[in-house]
Amino acid sequence: MRRRMFLAALAASGGMPLLSWADAGSPAFLAAAKEPSGGYALFGIGRSGAVLFRQPLPGRGHAATAHPTRPEAVAFARRPGTFALVLDCVTGASLARLTPPEGRQFNGHGAYSADGAVLYTSEVVAEGSEGRIGLWDAGRSYARIGEFASNGIGPHEIRRLPMSDMLVVANGGIQTDPLDRTPLNLDSMRPNLSYLSPEGVVEEVVELPDLAQNSIRHLALRSDGLVGFAMQWQGDLAEPVPLLGLHRRGEDPTLAWPADAEMFAMKGYAGSIAFAPGGQEVAITSPRGGRVQAFSPEGAPLWSVARGDVCGIGPAAGGDGFVITDGQGLVAGLAGGRIAPLAQAGLAWDNHLIAL
Amino acid sequence: MRSALVALFLLGALPAAADTAEAISDHVLPGYAEFARASTDLAGAAAQDCSAAPLKEPWNRAFDAWMGVAHLRLGPAEDGGRALAIAFWPDPKATGARQTAAMIAAADPALATPEGLAGASVAARGFYALERLLWGAPYGPGDYSCALVRGLAGDLAGLAEALAQDWGQPGSGGYADQLLSPGAEGNTRFLTPDESRQALFTQLITGLEFNADQRLGRPLGSFDKPRPERAEAIASGRSLRNVTLSVIALRDLARSLAGEHPATEAAFARAIALAQDLDDPVFAGVAEPASRLKVEILQQAIRAAQEAALAEVGGALGVGVGFNSADGD
Repeated sequence: MRRRMFLAALAASGGMPLLSWADAGSPAFLAAAKEPSGGYALFGIGRSGAVLFRQPLPGRGHAATAHPTRPEAVAFARRPGTFALVLDCVTGASLARLTPPEGRQFNGHGAYSADGAVLYTSEVVAEGSEGRIGLWDAGRSYARIGEFASNGIGPHEIRRLPMSDMLVVANGGIQTDPLDRTPLNLDSMRPNLSYLSPEGVVEEVVELPDLAQNSIRHLALRSDGLVGFAMQWQGDLAEPVPLLGLHRRGEDPTLAWPADAEMFAMKGYAGSIAFAPGGQEVAITSPRGGRVQAFSPEGAPLWSVARGDVCGIGPAAGGDGFVITDGQGLVAGLAGGRIAPLAQAGLAWDNHLIAL
Repeated sequence: MRSALVALFLLGALPAAADTAEAISDHVLPGYAEFARASTDLAGAAAQDCSAAPLKEPWNRAFDAWMGVAHLRLGPAEDGGRALAIAFWPDPKATGARQTAAMIAAADPALATPEGLAGASVAARGFYALERLLWGAPYGPGDYSCALVRGLAGDLAGLAEALAQDWGQPGSGGYADQLLSPGAEGNTRFLTPDESRQALFTQLITGLEFNADQRLGRPLGSFDKPRPERAEAIASGRSLRNVTLSVIALRDLARSLAGEHPATEAAFARAIALAQDLDDPVFAGVAEPASRLKVEILQQAIRAAQEAALAEVGGALGVGVGFNSADGD
């Protein structure tokens, strides 16, 4: 906070140019991890997989989101979250700390407006898990400036559509105990994918009535606006279900069914999702099944690989395919169904790998 | 690990060697060899005579052998969905039964061969497809069901043979070598010895969980709504036998992986004794309070074995369940 204001003041006085992402020592990804000491931190990761900076977190992290222009990112606590940290991605220094208002909890994800002036955070009302999108002034102080309904229970990931200020929210549908993560409504849950205007007006809603127990939780966006959504099945694990959906505004969603032999490989659980550069492959990860499954943008299964406790996935930086992270500390490239280790850290990488 | 070894040394006992290599040589490979032998015997018997009555015994022996390795859901068993093709259960939508009925109705001779079946849905193959035929409507030597039994038995033997081959012997370049040589050139599945240990440890824990949650949990249902019809392999009467054999196999996996640990040994011994003493072969008793309680006690005993193994075996190996897989978000 102090440093950011100092830099801003310097920039305003003409004493120093505004920093951009090019000055950030080129971290290509952000990821939270658990350290051998038992503590938690957020890390900047270079294209080669090397750790470029480390910022301690007050508790277990989950995901992060990058500012569109400034080398700045927000790291979110694991839900039910009580903190989010704004970081300088050049130095890793903490610039501001966000605390949800009384009775609200962060749900692990957020997104910036296209101009970077507003940060949107995925939140719940602690009692009842009614979804809220919190608005924060990212231009100045990161002060809370408002909120609106997420259009569902238990929102998880929120993203902004490319070249647009339209928001897309994965309302997971699960009501949880306000003190922990115990689900309370698995028999009556109704997840949805909601498109919201920056003012919170509901523009479009996608539901999967036949798969109401498939919690829509994570999102990946292609540059043309195609939305991939990853799901977590809360029903009978002996029922084969798709865990990936693809949706384009105004159209019906496509469900991506795995190949017959792979139908239970993910154990009903997709933890993260990413499009590869170019958008011709979309992959979901399952730490429970120790699998990555890739599909075409039309939803056809392409390949799968086994890797224990794999979860984080993002598009390869300047290459083909993906980069994955896992609970054993591996950062690896993954192209054409083959894993190529990049680096191994003495860390347990947490759920998400955020491409910058 | 070290403290456990020191403790054993102080007690004057020589600890039996136990680790990834022992789990493979003493548990995994003999188990797959036995499964391949027993399913080849079944296929041979079916080739000679496809009648139902004489095939029930070799089918049961092959299923017994499968219970020795069914919990190993990694590597070759996962390739091409082989474990599913061998034993497609649970099957809440009765997909397998519908597919078997459709195959008999269509009576396509090309499908009733190991080659034809290799391309069929996993739900239409394996032990349960054979069970539906051997314990189903009577058929004669000229019927399609007879050809289908031969084909299914041959397909099963082929799957068992492929599993044994793909694991290979140490040094043959098979999946066993991937576990034994973590971090070797081209081995991206396992990068460190701990990753190999964790992969086998995960089979132990999820295997116990499967017995408690699925083999027992499905028929138990809830107290208000017991579901005895959801037990495994009811027609052949193997529901309890599968639990007993599976828990014994899992105890052997725990021993070969990490040696004998007191709380784990005691918990396994109790679970196995309860299973062996239970007089309820297909868990029909879950619908009556007194007999239901016995199945619940067995379920609790298996969960206790899982807890003990998580603490002792996981502790001895220096591994736990995955950081992300335990998170759930």
